[in-house]
Amino acid sequence: MSSAVSRYFTSSIGRKQLIALTGLGLCGFLVAHLLGNFTLFIGSDAFNIYAHKLMSLGPLVYIAEAGLAAMFALHLGLAIKMTIENKTARGQKYYMKTRTGRGETLMSATMPYTGLILFVFLILHILQFKFGPVYNTEVDGVFMRDLYRTVVEYFQSPLNTAWYVIAMAAAAMHTAHGFQSAFQTFGFNHGTWTPKLKILGIAYAVFVAGGFAAVSIFLHVKGA
Amino acid sequence: MSDATANMTIYLKVWRQASAAAEGKFVDYKVDHVSPDMSFLEMFDVLNDQLVKKGEAPIAFDHDCREGICGMCSMMINGKAHGGEKGTTTCQLHMRKFKSGDAIVVEPWRAKAFPLVKDLVVDRSAFDKIIQAGGYTTAQTGNAPDANANLIPKTVADEAMDAAACIGCGACVASCPNGSAMLFMGAKISQLALLPQGQPEAPRRALNMVKSHDELLFGNCTNHAECEATCPKEIGLEHIARMNREYTKATFTYHEKVRGGDGA
Amino acid sequence: MTSSKLDSKVPSGDLYAKWDKHKFESKLVNPANKRKFTVIVVGTGLAGGSAAATLAELGYNVHAFCIQDTPRRAHSIAAQGGINAAKNYQNDGDSIKRLFYDTIKGGDYRAREANVYRLAQVSNNIIDQMVAQGVPFAREYGGYLDNRSFGGSQVSRTFYARGQTGQQLLLGAYSGMMKMVNKGKIKMFTRREMMDLVVVNNQARGIIVRNHVTGELERHVADAVLLCTGGYGNVFFLSTNAMASNVTAAWRSHKRGAYMANPCFTQIHPTCIPVHGDYQSKLTLMSESLRNDGRVWVPKKQGETRKPEDIPDEDRDYYLERVYPSFGNLAPRDVSSRQAKYRCDEGLGVGSTKKAVYLDFRDAIKRDGAGTIAGKYGNLFEMYERIVGEDPYKTPMMIYPAVHYTMGGLWVDYNLQSTIPGLHVLGEANFSDHGANRLGASALMQGLADGYFVIPYTLGNYLASNKIDKITTDHDAFKEAETRVRMADNKLLGLKGKRSVDDFHKALGHIMWEEVGMARKEAGLKKAITGIRKLKEEFWQDVNVPGGENEYNFELHKAGRVADFLELGELMALDALERNESCGGHFREEYQTPDGEAARDDEKYCHVAAWEWSGEKAAPIRHVEELKFENVQLATRSYK
Repeated sequence: MSSAVSRYFTSSIGRKQLIALTGLGLCGFLVAHLLGNFTLFIGSDAFNIYAHKLMSLGPLVYIAEAGLAAMFALHLGLAIKMTIENKTARGQKYYMKTRTGRGETLMSATMPYTGLILFVFLILHILQFKFGPVYNTEVDGVFMRDLYRTVVEYFQSPLNTAWYVIAMAAAAMHTAHGFQSAFQTFGFNHGTWTPKLKILGIAYAVFVAGGFAAVSIFLHVKGA
Repeated sequence: MSDATANMTIYLKVWRQASAAAEGKFVDYKVDHVSPDMSFLEMFDVLNDQLVKKGEAPIAFDHDCREGICGMCSMMINGKAHGGEKGTTTCQLHMRKFKSGDAIVVEPWRAKAFPLVKDLVVDRSAFDKIIQAGGYTTAQTGNAPDANANLIPKTVADEAMDAAACIGCGACVASCPNGSAMLFMGAKISQLALLPQGQPEAPRRALNMVKSHDELLFGNCTNHAECEATCPKEIGLEHIARMNREYTKATFTYHEKVRGGDGA
Repeated sequence: MTSSKLDSKVPSGDLYAKWDKHKFESKLVNPANKRKFTVIVVGTGLAGGSAAATLAELGYNVHAFCIQDTPRRAHSIAAQGGINAAKNYQNDGDSIKRLFYDTIKGGDYRAREANVYRLAQVSNNIIDQMVAQGVPFAREYGGYLDNRSFGGSQVSRTFYARGQTGQQLLLGAYSGMMKMVNKGKIKMFTRREMMDLVVVNNQARGIIVRNHVTGELERHVADAVLLCTGGYGNVFFLSTNAMASNVTAAWRSHKRGAYMANPCFTQIHPTCIPVHGDYQSKLTLMSESLRNDGRVWVPKKQGETRKPEDIPDEDRDYYLERVYPSFGNLAPRDVSSRQAKYRCDEGLGVGSTKKAVYLDFRDAIKRDGAGTIAGKYGNLFEMYERIVGEDPYKTPMMIYPAVHYTMGGLWVDYNLQSTIPGLHVLGEANFSDHGANRLGASALMQGLADGYFVIPYTLGNYLASNKIDKITTDHDAFKEAETRVRMADNKLLGLKGKRSVDDFHKALGHIMWEEVGMARKEAGLKKAITGIRKLKEEFWQDVNVPGGENEYNFELHKAGRVADFLELGELMALDALERNESCGGHFREEYQTPDGEAARDDEKYCHVAAWEWSGEKAAPIRHVEELKFENVQLATRSYK
């Protein structure tokens, strides 16, 4: 690696920007994922056709999955390293530390924890759905996986639904800080636009996390 | 004099530590006859005077100008740097902000990069090292062109001044949950990035100062903005943003080729 | 007659050409030889910081010492108003000659012409240099530098960076130092306090410093020593100086042979926040610019109990406007300060201590609107409210004079060299440029002129034209000096008396303020001398310095400083007593015009008084450097 590249990847600002970049990438993925999930509101066929079409893209799927996995790994790895460094840099703990109320928020303070919840959630999520029970179905003469049934069965358990909603709450908190924070990290800070961006970040968090949670509650209430 | 109004009683819990190597602990003190017009440091003067008269070691704390500009005073007061009043250093914090009978916890700045010296005194020389890495323009004395040779619009000069107002007190590091010095460093990089005089060395400055910051074991910025909130000069996060831009720009545009000597 | 040791070494010839001629005639040190010389710079304010950075750029090895934890905190940082320069950017008739003339006149004709002219000459280079270093001076929308008129000046020649000009200039000088630290040419020693000067073969060759953190005494050797240690205003205990500002470096050099010049010339600034209690540790200056819009007044009758905003105009005495109809509220610092004192002496003072006058913005707010006033003074109003807890938009500010600057200092010649060869003194620590009264926005100018543009030439000349032997810190002179410091320390630590160091400092300050303050008279000065002597005796019997020597012991640090202030205070009173005239900041009640203005005596006192130390028991010797005014007419200042 050239010195400029290694310098960037090992510097505080460089790594932060990589965390921000991958974070925004993941934010984009969440929107796409949510739009797809909205087909669950329509019904089993709509969802299954959507899932089937997505999976029929062939190598593109693998590329996209690999890309997502890389983004996630980078985001997580750098964030863990940064969190450890930051704890070390703090040094001896204060006996008493109170927030001014004008800076640190619950969202910003809990980024490592909400991130950890999301990490656990993601593993379970993949295991429960992608690698979960496989059923088959036929829509308009085409055989395909009945992913709808897998999903609906999962959400019949109140515990599962509750966990899913809790995880979405964590996602909301994580992205509410993370989304707007990423722009600051890239160096975008403007007297007029930054406050609006912060509102957009919260709107994003509410929309995405709320959307996912709404789908899960909808399926839970609707029943199999 | 105004001794008639000096009727507050304050209960202090102060961190005492004889030296960097010694064990530290909190010690409780009761200070009577505190006037609401006293500054926080003057209350410490009164306490220290009492301790000296009793033959006890007075509490060491850093202070100098006592008008909020030298940046020497540094106390964590009830968990907030400089007490957390907006735009106020410890020396300008007055006792009228407290009530008689209040218990106040006073601790030194804590951060890996600010090792403790004694009691409430810490070593902030890491800040000098960051500046040494590039927080200047190389304007050798006697070389300067006429002061009006470079026109700098008022809006730009004002913004540079906002950043330049930093007093180097370290409240940003002390209050940052990550012990990061990004606001301190960002203020200097931003000030010089705004001005034409700072341009020739801008990329090297950003790269070298950030490198130095990281090596000095300051933490990373995670945009809590606790630094901005406690900064007695109210320096804003936009200066960290400008530093981030400068750093990115330097990473992707600056390249210094290694060449032989010029035989001079 | 000028004493033989007081050769000012002012070059001959035309005033306007002296500095150029001197620079050309000065010997140079070869670039390759500069690295063989080491220079000690004590203090890192504007003078010390700029000198250290520039000498290092030239190639000398600089060892810089500061009392704070970093050089960026020197008290130059607290200067608010601005810095003068004869740029004439405003096209309002300014010139080097006019700045020179104003400075001489402002100093009440007690400064050396050649030094002041040089100061005015290099003033323009300072602005260029500071702008190049990234100092964000105030600008117009079009990008040009803004200027303001300051301290009653008739031209707009003051450059400023909000109310933080001193801070910005200091950070500029500091950044230059950091650049040279990075290049290895400056070695920085922080949290060090100079305790003694080491003189070898009648040359200043080193210093003894205390490392504040460890308590150790350290020896440092060099080829020359620069003192840039600021003024001694803290002799009054309460002043606008920082807590650590002290006279020790200068005073101990004085005891080694450097003459102390005009120590009684102190400047009392009229617009400070008043004293509010016995516990008060320092006074805070409010920028003089406030007097541009604020009106100064006291109630007409004693024992006024109404709130100031409820007192109608007919019951108010706008005394500056009454006494000085043409200058009004903008009368010079010494004049305004004295008038405030007179009102309080008459029992018309206001506030809880009755030692304050009102500075009222009611009419300005009515005339221009609160928004305009906030635009001009918003920061100052906020600062006032933070300290006093009252809102100056609603109720008048209270102000009172406070000690702010000391024009006196170690005597130096045109080369800034003291009476000890190799010991150079820069900035407020020397006496040279401000005469008996300093003009607003001139202190920053002088500190930087000395450090950036004078000492690099004159120090080179000294090093090139003198034989300087190779010595180490093992030399006997270092041992002696260190022993002297250690013995004084041990004595202080061993006394275990009943009074704290601050008790003595406050007692000294009280005497100084009452008798050697704004208005002095023979009987009072004699009383002060007796009082200080008695206090000094008590100090050396009854002071309590807890702790030991080899630790961070700031009571010991303070004790050493107060010991020196006690001696300096006596000399100041003596100097004031011997100067039987009034001039600038020195006002003797016996010498005033029928309408209460300062009456100079140019026949007998158109000179610098430089004092030689002659031992603990002996009286100091008064030497005289006659001042010759060849380019300006001696005139009486009038602000009526």
